[in-house]
Amino acid sequence: MTRSLLGLGVLALASMALALALGSVNVAPADLWQVIQGEGSTLHRTLLLDLRLPRTLAAFGTGGLLAVAGALMQVLLRNPLADPYVLGLSGGAAVGALLAMLAGMGTLIISGSAFAGAMLATVLVFGLAHGTGSWTPSRLLLTGVVVAAGWGAVITLMLAITPSYKLPGMLYWLMGDVSYARSPWPAVVVLAVSVVLIMPLARNLNVLARGPMQAAALGVAVRPLEWTIYVVASLLTATAVTTAGSIGFVGLIVPHMLRLILGNDQRIILPASALAGGTLLVLADTLARTVIAPEQLPVGVITALLGVPTFLYLLHRSR
Amino acid sequence: MVSCWLNFRFALGFLIAILVHPISASEMQRCAEDDTGKKLCLSAAAQRIITLSPGATELVFAAGAGDKVIAVVNYSDYPPAALTLPSVGSHTRVDMEALMALQPDLVVTWVTGNPPAQVELLQELGISTFAIEPRTFEGVSSVIERLSTLAGTEAEGFAEAERFRSGIATLTAQYRDVDPVPVFYQVWEKPLMTVNNEHLIGKVLKLCGGVNVFGDMQRLIPRISAEVVLQADPDAILTGSVDGISDDQLDEWKKYAGLTAVEKNNLFFVPASPISRPSPRLLDAIQTVCEKLGKARERL
Repeated sequence: MTRSLLGLGVLALASMALALALGSVNVAPADLWQVIQGEGSTLHRTLLLDLRLPRTLAAFGTGGLLAVAGALMQVLLRNPLADPYVLGLSGGAAVGALLAMLAGMGTLIISGSAFAGAMLATVLVFGLAHGTGSWTPSRLLLTGVVVAAGWGAVITLMLAITPSYKLPGMLYWLMGDVSYARSPWPAVVVLAVSVVLIMPLARNLNVLARGPMQAAALGVAVRPLEWTIYVVASLLTATAVTTAGSIGFVGLIVPHMLRLILGNDQRIILPASALAGGTLLVLADTLARTVIAPEQLPVGVITALLGVPTFLYLLHRSR
Repeated sequence: MVSCWLNFRFALGFLIAILVHPISASEMQRCAEDDTGKKLCLSAAAQRIITLSPGATELVFAAGAGDKVIAVVNYSDYPPAALTLPSVGSHTRVDMEALMALQPDLVVTWVTGNPPAQVELLQELGISTFAIEPRTFEGVSSVIERLSTLAGTEAEGFAEAERFRSGIATLTAQYRDVDPVPVFYQVWEKPLMTVNNEHLIGKVLKLCGGVNVFGDMQRLIPRISAEVVLQADPDAILTGSVDGISDDQLDEWKKYAGLTAVEKNNLFFVPASPISRPSPRLLDAIQTVCEKLGKARERL
């Protein structure tokens, strides 16, 4: 168990080293070493420390956040198709960001507004799913999906009536790409802190994954646990979306991949998701910015191109 | 030790004073305001320019600073010299590493076309950026002048700006009294899109005596339905195509034989890139549009 986590940790570090070493501009290993030692030319320092390092960290943080959020959502909703965006969080974030852009705000306020939008979406779904009757995962899922559709409509409407000179900035935001990420720190810090905080819950999550009845019979306080997961997953997704827009696929596929390899033990799956999700997005982003440089691909293309065959292979092998 | 340091500081200060003073007197800082209203001052004329839109490439060349352009973005296909320059990716996703490695002293950005996050990152890294997006004929002249100021090529730049200005004035005078022709400019076929009077294309139509049937719409590039086009019944329909060669973009209208533009065979193609980029080539575009509308007038 620790061995597989250790292996993933090594992979993560290797992917980050690779991301720092590779770019559309060739930096010789000797120059890399100089920069690591705190020397090197201004250009090499800029390339490595100002461009590659923040971007790599942002990719790792975002990928990790999305994968952990996906793993949590899949347990919470007991639905293999659940991903971090299934309950409409990215829609809420997008509406928040677009409103700030319409008001002509700066990047910082746009990020803040996106985060607020995501949290509003969370509370909205929470409140609506609660309703008057009893609460079930399928009710939460249905509420989330419908609210997500609502956000989608609001976004389309906003884009349709926006003055066209403000439109491009909005479209960039909606596309979601690590190259538009600004500061990597919120993603990295939230990821580290939340993984540490939810680890003690992992045992209870294992029980919950078998069904709420069994969990309750085994003495797990099901409702509070479910709401905790919901809030944590929302927080993770909101941070990820605020950092780099809505990047698809990572949150859905990484937890499944890991379950196929490591089994469905949340004590391993959660930290493993953080590491593997981060690694996948770092690798994908490295490829996206180098494969046909100076042309830059959207990272989602590469995550899918890497992830789909890997996942299908694992699925095929598991039968 | 201390006195030595003080001496050194004094000497340094003196050195800077004599070095800086004559320079600031003889060569002033080169300052210009960009199209977002931000003022940019360069201590010396820009020597290594990167352009982040095809339009910016044309304008920098027009400003006489073509030989100072070291890299462009994709689709910078005019003037032909731009085709041989290295690319830093597309205007939507700039390869920041390639750009930084070229060590530009001026990056000409596109106000609404480049991702704001990437432009901000450039500024944080200490790169001088100048955002442009002319929305009027005078804006084209003015931006050519401002770019030439930054690049130290005022002689060529101001001459070119003046050539464009007088070209516009001549054409305006030439077509001032022509009969108005109600016209529909089709920007895109599916979905159907047009321009309003605020758009540069709208201004071209107006100069040629065209009356844009959707000129009063709120949005710069409104999405419309085929129904309102039928209702407006323009006398001519124009659209842009590669080199102005006829293609199938207007075929959809031919099934409405009752449309005046169809009945009179007033479906025209104009070269897309000169009319859609704010550059001196607009003069050619205006010429073409005016000729097409002239034909339309004859056929009515």
